[in-house]
This record gives sequence, structure tokens and C-alpha cells, in this order.
Amino acid sequence: MATLTQPLPARDEPRRPNIATADVQLPAVKDYEQVDREIVGTLHPTVAWFIGLGVAVFFLLIGIAAWMYQIYSGLGVAGYNPPVMWGVYIITFVFWVGIGHAGTLISAILYLFRAGFRTTIYRCAEAMTVFAVMTAGLFPILHLGRPWKFFWLIPYPNWRYIWPQFKSPLVWDVFAILTYLTISSTFLYVGLIPDIAVLRDRENISPMRKRIFSVLSLGWRNTDSEWRHFARAYLFLAAFSTPLVLSVHSVVSFDFAMSLVPGWHTTIFAPYFVAGAIFSGIGMVFTIIIPLRKFFGLRHYVTINHLDAAAKLALFTSLLVGCAYMNEWFVAWFSGNEFEKAFFANRIWGQWWWASAILYTCNMVLPLSLFSQKLRRTPAWLFIISFTINIGMWFERFVIVVPSLSHEFEPWQWTSYRPTWVDYAILAGSFGWFSMWFLLFIKQLPVIAISEVKEIVPPKLRKAHPHGIDPAGRHFEYEADTPGEFS
Amino acid sequence: MRGVLGAFHELDAAVSAIEALKENRIGAIRVYTPTPRHELEQAIGAPPSSVRRYTLIGGLLGVTFGYWIAIWTSDYWPLVVGGKPIASWVPYTIFGFEVMVLVGGLSTVAGLFINSRIPRLTMMVGYDPRFSHGEYGVWVECSPENARTAEELLREHGAVEVRLER
Repeated sequence: MATLTQPLPARDEPRRPNIATADVQLPAVKDYEQVDREIVGTLHPTVAWFIGLGVAVFFLLIGIAAWMYQIYSGLGVAGYNPPVMWGVYIITFVFWVGIGHAGTLISAILYLFRAGFRTTIYRCAEAMTVFAVMTAGLFPILHLGRPWKFFWLIPYPNWRYIWPQFKSPLVWDVFAILTYLTISSTFLYVGLIPDIAVLRDRENISPMRKRIFSVLSLGWRNTDSEWRHFARAYLFLAAFSTPLVLSVHSVVSFDFAMSLVPGWHTTIFAPYFVAGAIFSGIGMVFTIIIPLRKFFGLRHYVTINHLDAAAKLALFTSLLVGCAYMNEWFVAWFSGNEFEKAFFANRIWGQWWWASAILYTCNMVLPLSLFSQKLRRTPAWLFIISFTINIGMWFERFVIVVPSLSHEFEPWQWTSYRPTWVDYAILAGSFGWFSMWFLLFIKQLPVIAISEVKEIVPPKLRKAHPHGIDPAGRHFEYEADTPGEFS
Repeated sequence: MRGVLGAFHELDAAVSAIEALKENRIGAIRVYTPTPRHELEQAIGAPPSSVRRYTLIGGLLGVTFGYWIAIWTSDYWPLVVGGKPIASWVPYTIFGFEVMVLVGGLSTVAGLFINSRIPRLTMMVGYDPRFSHGEYGVWVECSPENARTAEELLREHGAVEVRLER
């Protein structure tokens, strides 16, 4: 927050028009009042929003119905066929945890790196993180035979005098996910406090909403003292969140890597999972932010330069995961381990070749198009790529989970796996659950951080500022967003 | 609490008013600003925030508790798994780390709340909704004798509105 605001560079600094840098500015935003007016203006519900919410709830109800059926009938209806006892639920669990990583990456890691382009997208990514982790957290519970006993994983004093097995990766997972959910929710809420104070002060119609905002803003008054402590707390939360992001998906990867199953028992899994998680999260950020900026009329906040900079990050993480895939093949060949070699040959040429083909095409080949600056600056293409990233990353987890279990050491155990309608219904329900929370969020709270955007808008001044800000505000050259770009 | 409040449209006007008030030693100054600005921070010259102490203490307590709960429960029900020691420090580092982040993060927020005196049920004297919108407010605590001087200084440096508050 406060530490992010730096005096603008001197006027005679060479200009680099239309090149996305860490210091992305908002030339079409002239003053603080405009920020309040336009961002608060996005909170009015529209017909399209109600339709979207209705569709999300519909899918959620399908998922709930399937779960009820599964509880009544038993886990057998979920398509498990020994030895493939992990399927769509664990794939989707890892998928949603991965989606949840971009939020904290954008809000915390890019904050520590002073990457200015995060400013207008981080709130959206943070909310996405919280809802994605909430969604992910459902899947281990769905996967339990007796889901009402899920709290047995949490250490608490009990009359049986027994405790969780702290050497089990599944218990590590419980701690990692709960800590991540708590800290990312806290991070989201702390960042929201000054913005809720803006909503409280701007709310003139509904006394009930004003009262709710008054409670949620905790009596925030924008004093210098509050901002000083706020900036410091935000910095430390970001510093804590950064290793947490890296640790959570590492711990999720240990669920696999601690076993002896071919394709799982590998030391590269932690960085491989973290890179994949960040990649998928950025994909989902694009999937969400590109329609949002269009439908909310926020293209002058989330500019082409912002998208360009985020696309570079997507490209970088795509190269990282591509490198990890190739490293897996190399290690399988170089290790001389017959089981490992046979497994990787099966992964590429075996019964699941099509899943591997989707994975490599979506995660390694198509993102290479982002080397083109023109495509990076084309929102429609980024939206398409974001979809392929989401699909590719789901299939990455499919390729990790299913082929390994269906093709272990003993050939007599080799089998197949086919998800049932219950799996698909619960998968659809998870998207409905996530979308429902996100849609509710965007109409109740600002989807762009008002107070942080104000930091990058030049303040009103009486006379020229010694650091080069002039009273009219000064910006780099700006490429206007073209109308109808998304149609 | 008595004092004078000046509202400013421009940042540099608010900065020069703060400097003038400090120079004349009128009284304690509080600034309302829609967004944090280094210019205001420098003019006020406040000491560093003490939130970091809460973070440090919370983090240390968290890491201690994380290791302790894992080691104590393992000793309470000793079960050899995978030929590893009953209390294995390597996997327990995961708990130490996670609980450190959890308690450290929450204590940071507690530090923010305690230092900022929030949650607060009533707004403090001098607050105006304009200060979350686009204007800057400079509040100076002063006796009735000094109020006139404070008012003149604030107007002289570009305050668009000055009022006595109590």
C-alpha cells in the first residue's frame, strides 16, 4: 500500500509507449472521485448478473443432488475401480487448489516485487483464491465414505485419547489448506477494509447496507496513523503469504510424491506443482477478468498493458511447467528404472495418450503464442488461451492421477477408469459453487481495489511537484482500448 | 478533544499546511487521506509502526506450538511409522511452518487492530466522508486560544473549508 506509492520518474525519462512494464499507469483515470464513482457503480445488480447467478446455483444444485445420491448409495457410484481409488475428486481438488494460487501470487508476491500491474487485478484474483480454496476443501470431504467424520483429521482433545498421524501427508494437507484458507481470507478482508469504508461513505440509499458496511469497515477513518499500521501489516501479511503459496502446493504434491507409485515418486513434484498451480491460476484470472472488464466497463482500469504484463507471467510459468514435463521424461529414461520407463511410455502411447496430448497441447504448445506481443495484447485471444490453460491443467492432474494408479507395478492389476455421471455432476457442481460465490462477491464488494488504484492516480496539486508530477497528471503514451474487441 | 479541521482539495496544500502547523507548534496533528501518500508521511514524520513486533511474537509462538503439538501427541501415542523416530523433526517442520504462518499472520492483523484502535463503534471528531472520497483533512488539536492561529494557517495554505470541532 503506502510503500508501493513512489514519486513518478522525472519528465525527461525516455518513454516506452505501449510496452507493458511493472509500472503500469491508468491514463484514463483522472482523479480519485472518478475512481469511486466508476468502481462503486459496478455494484448495481443487472439482469445478466441474475441470469449468471441462476445458472451457477443450478449447477450447484446438480452437484448437491449427486452428492446426496452418493451418500445414500456409497462411494461405489463414483466410478472407482480398484486399484484406481483416486479419480475425478482428487483431480478436481488439486485443480482448484492450483487455481487458488494465482490470487496470493498476484496480491502478495507481485506486491513484494513492486509489480505495479497487479494493482487493478489483484482483488479479483484474491477473491478467486478464497473461493477456489473453499471449493477445493470440499473434495477431500466428498471423497470420504463417512463425510460427517471429516473433523477427525483435526487435532483436538477427545475422549478416545487419539490424535492424527502427523507423519501422514494427508494430515499435512489439512494443515496447509486450512492455513492457506485462513490467511488468504484474512489478506482479502484486510485489503478490503479501506474500500468498505468508501462504500460506507458513498452509500446514501439503503440504511441497511450503510449499517452493514459500517460494521464491516470496523470504523475505518483513513487517518495517517491507520494507513501507517495498515501498510506495515499488509507488508508482513504479504511476506508470510509468499512462502505459504509455495508451501501449500508443495504439500499437495507430497500426497503423491511420498508414495512409491511410478510417476508419483519423484522429487521434482513440489516445484512442478507450484509452477503448474500458478500457471492455472493466471489462466483462471484471465477467464474472469476479461469478461469483467468488458461487462463492468473497466477497460481503462484493466488496460491492455495490464493484460500484456500478466500474459508474460502466464508464458513464463508455461515454460516452467513445460520444462518440468520434459524433465520427467528425461529422468524416467536416465534413471534406468524399468517401471518408470514403462510408465512414461504408457503415459504417451498407452490408453491415456489422448489425455496427455490435450495436456501437452494446452499447456506447452498453445501458450507459446504469447511470445507474440500482438496476441498478448488481444483480449479475445487471451480469453481463448485461458480456457485452454484451464482444460490443460485439469488434464495434467488427470494424467498424474489416473495412469499411475491404473498402471502400477503388477501387470495383473492394470485396469481402466471411467468417471460416472456422479463424478461429472459433482465436477459441474464445483464450478457452480465457485461461480455462485464469485458472482455474489462482485456485486457486494469492489472487484478493483479502490484505495490502491488511487495510489497510482496522480493526486490533485496546486503547482508542479518537485518529483515531476504536474497538476494535470502525466502518463506514458497510452494505446486506447478498441471498442467491441470482445465481440 | 478540541481542535481545528481543515479540508484540502490538493495534496501539496495539505503538506504545506502540516509543515506550517508543525513549525508553529500548534498541537498534535492528524491527517485524513483517501490513500496513503509518502508526501504526507514525510511531513508528519511519524515513527515506524510497531505492528512488526506482533508479527515476530506471533510467528515465534506459532512455530513453537506447531512443533510442540506434533511432538507431544506423537509421544503420547507412540507409533513407529516407516521406521522413522517417534518424533521426526523433518515432517514436523511442515507443522511448525504452517502454524507459524497462521499465528504470525493473525497476530499481525491483531497488531493492526490494536494500533489503529479498530474496531471502533463511533467515528472520531473531525472525520468527514469526503476524506474517503478525494479530499485531504488536517486536524490539529489545540486550545481555544490557539484556534484562531491554526485557522489562519490552514486557510493561508489553501484549505477550502476550516471549522472548529469538539
